[in-house]
Amino acid sequence: MSEAWADRLKFVWPPVLIALAFLGAWQLLVVARDIQPFLLPAPSLIAQNFFGDIALMWGTAYYTGTTALLGLVFGTFAGIVMALLAQRFGVVNNLVTPLAAGLAAVPIIALTPILNNMFSITSRTPRVLVTAIIVFFPMFVNVTRGLIQVQPVQLELMRSMNAQPRTVVRTLRVPNAIPFFFTGMKVAAPLAVIAALVAEYFGGPQEGLGSRIASSAANTAYGRAWAYVVAAIITGLVFYLIVVAVERWTTPWTGRTRSA
Amino acid sequence: MSGHEHAVSADGVWKIFNEGLPNEVTALQDVHLTVDTGEFISLIGPSGCGKSTLLRVIADLTDATRGEMKVAGVTPHEAREKQLYGMAFQQAALFDWRSVRRNVELPLELQGWDKDKRKSRAMELLEMVQLADFAEHRPWELSGGMQQRVAIARSLAVDPPLLLMDEPFGALDEMTRERMQNELLRIRQETGKSIVFVTHSIPEAVYLSDRVVVMSPRPGRITDVVPIPLGTDRDEDTRESDAFYESVTAVREALRGHVGGAGMRARVGEV
Amino acid sequence: MSDAAVIERPAVSAGTRSNGVARRLRNGGISVLWALAGIGLVVLMWELVKWLGQYIPMPFNTSDMTMPHVWTMVAAMGEPEVRGSDTTVLEAVISAAFRSMTLAVGGFIIGVSVGLLLAVIMQRFLFAERGLLPFVIASQTVPLIALAPLIVGIGNRIEIGPVQWTTTYSVMFIAAYLAFFPLSVGALRGLQAPSATSLELMRSYAATPGQMLRKLRFPSSIPYLVPALKVSAAASVVGTVVAEISTGVRGGIGRMLIEYARQITSQPAKVYVAVFGAIALGLLVAALVTALDVYLTRNLPKESKA
Repeated sequence: MSEAWADRLKFVWPPVLIALAFLGAWQLLVVARDIQPFLLPAPSLIAQNFFGDIALMWGTAYYTGTTALLGLVFGTFAGIVMALLAQRFGVVNNLVTPLAAGLAAVPIIALTPILNNMFSITSRTPRVLVTAIIVFFPMFVNVTRGLIQVQPVQLELMRSMNAQPRTVVRTLRVPNAIPFFFTGMKVAAPLAVIAALVAEYFGGPQEGLGSRIASSAANTAYGRAWAYVVAAIITGLVFYLIVVAVERWTTPWTGRTRSA
Repeated sequence: MSGHEHAVSADGVWKIFNEGLPNEVTALQDVHLTVDTGEFISLIGPSGCGKSTLLRVIADLTDATRGEMKVAGVTPHEAREKQLYGMAFQQAALFDWRSVRRNVELPLELQGWDKDKRKSRAMELLEMVQLADFAEHRPWELSGGMQQRVAIARSLAVDPPLLLMDEPFGALDEMTRERMQNELLRIRQETGKSIVFVTHSIPEAVYLSDRVVVMSPRPGRITDVVPIPLGTDRDEDTRESDAFYESVTAVREALRGHVGGAGMRARVGEV
Repeated sequence: MSDAAVIERPAVSAGTRSNGVARRLRNGGISVLWALAGIGLVVLMWELVKWLGQYIPMPFNTSDMTMPHVWTMVAAMGEPEVRGSDTTVLEAVISAAFRSMTLAVGGFIIGVSVGLLLAVIMQRFLFAERGLLPFVIASQTVPLIALAPLIVGIGNRIEIGPVQWTTTYSVMFIAAYLAFFPLSVGALRGLQAPSATSLELMRSYAATPGQMLRKLRFPSSIPYLVPALKVSAAASVVGTVVAEISTGVRGGIGRMLIEYARQITSQPAKVYVAVFGAIALGLLVAALVTALDVYLTRNLPKESKA
């Protein structure tokens, strides 16, 4: 075995070991103490429910995943546009930045019933919108930071080369903001899944993960409810990992020592 | 000298930050200085003496509060617009998202050069700084000295008559630094540029310059100009020569004389 | 650093320490004014959209039923909560928000304590860090809140000694659960922040691990801890509201949102008052954390603040 592999393995086996020990202890506890599923279903029961109806799991996750993706796309787009405006116009920055800071602390999800009323509650629209609003803020904050936090020496360099303001945005500020964009995306992508799921708790179509978790729990199908939770966890992870993969691929320079 | 106009001429230049406020600072006080075409001038002095500010006034990165500054006979603003100078900083300030070659191409891109001409010019310059093999590498794959050579190549890209250098070797180790100094002298021989060079290091200033301009802080001003009679052909042997040591001593005394016995302060610059 | 940069800001380094709090208050005040202007703009746009909706078809319903006038919302605050009741809608919303705040703050304190403890353990034992950190990070990317309806199911059936577990505890538990993760990651990063030089310096003084933690690691973790606390506080508020919704716990702002949304036909503006209550709750908790932030970072130079 090569040394690099041995090195990598050192980081792999502790979490795997802990996960196995955790699942084992969980299973043992449930079997030994005869714990009822409504309290805590055994991992084997959850797995049985998950794999037993994998098509349903996929379909349900697909529904919520689509809502999350639509919200993510709209929210990200709006965040980038607003960040560009904020960088260009001080007034926009002054108006939006404190609002963004304040709203970061606010349960935006509470807007869902209002949006459910304004738009048709039977459609996906209110959920996509509330997801987009939630996604907007981390994207706006991070992209703005990336556009503004340019090394002063690079700005001086651009000036010494007689670059026009628009050129500075295109050749310096926008590329500089790309790593910040991914930082925002790594927060926003899983957040979109959470938002899409929680928005379902406020009523509306029953196809998604949030609705199914709640209804399974209400119908005492606890094994199934936990299986949907597993599906939700996987959906969130997939969103996150896709962002990480795209980041590695497009911005290989982040995480390295920056050229000073 | 031979040129019909000076590369740089400063006539009574003042730079005052926060003028009229309680935290007013006089960064430059009544600076008179001319740099002849093809001349190598170093600005030396302790922190806060205004040497970087003077360089920034020449480059039109900041305005003079009073007085007249000319670069190649025109205002700094015009000189910047016409790209009559190239600039290098202490940080290489390379763009991580561009290859080495595309970093050198940046000023040409801003001047609207077409792609092929840009590329051949960049390669020519990378050849000159002996980095042609690294053209398609990313800046972060290069050592500090190599990054700084890329930055120098970039400052030469538009073939400006004047180079402005703000402690370009300040962050490098001593060995790399001496190699870079030799390289800069060679480039100067090949291109005949006028150079204004800011540094903290006395030996560096002496080794590179035709004249060393000594500055002093609070208020920032020129206190002395020391000519360096080492001729135009300088190499590693020059560093060992008596004439070199004499010039180093002369610059050191000029620095010390005006810092008022605080010899410690002057020695900061020696590294 | 170039000396130009030093010269251009001579007053900052000298004045920072003594005027830090005053300066931040002033900057904060200016931000609040701008935020108020932003809110004003939102109100104007709301009314503009409503007005335009009369003439141009909009993709959503702009009638008074779904988008009441801003003044109707304000008026709704003073109306009795239910017909003939003495309490107004505003009073009901405030008391609900206050109740939710106690749950959120309780959850926040529990979550922060557990998060800090876990961070210290992970910092101390490499195996614990390697084993647990991937889960801590992964869990941030995972909709833990999906568990809310299930935890309540558990909660209703547990007795711990003489204490009967109530759904209130479940709500607090969920809030704590959400608050705990961002904090433990931020705290761990902070505890690992001291440079090798600082650690070697402490070692050269023969500092005990406890002293190392108190004198070096805790103080240097503060710049990392502060943003983590803010995220945790927001998470505990969101956790409380969502947990109240999915558990149906009465008395809090979450449940009130659902109830008022159902009364849209009789009192359409009511639900907006509840939404404002939820927003106020979030801002209030954030203000508490900001006060903590100002206290914790009082000795730090301006540059190292997030």
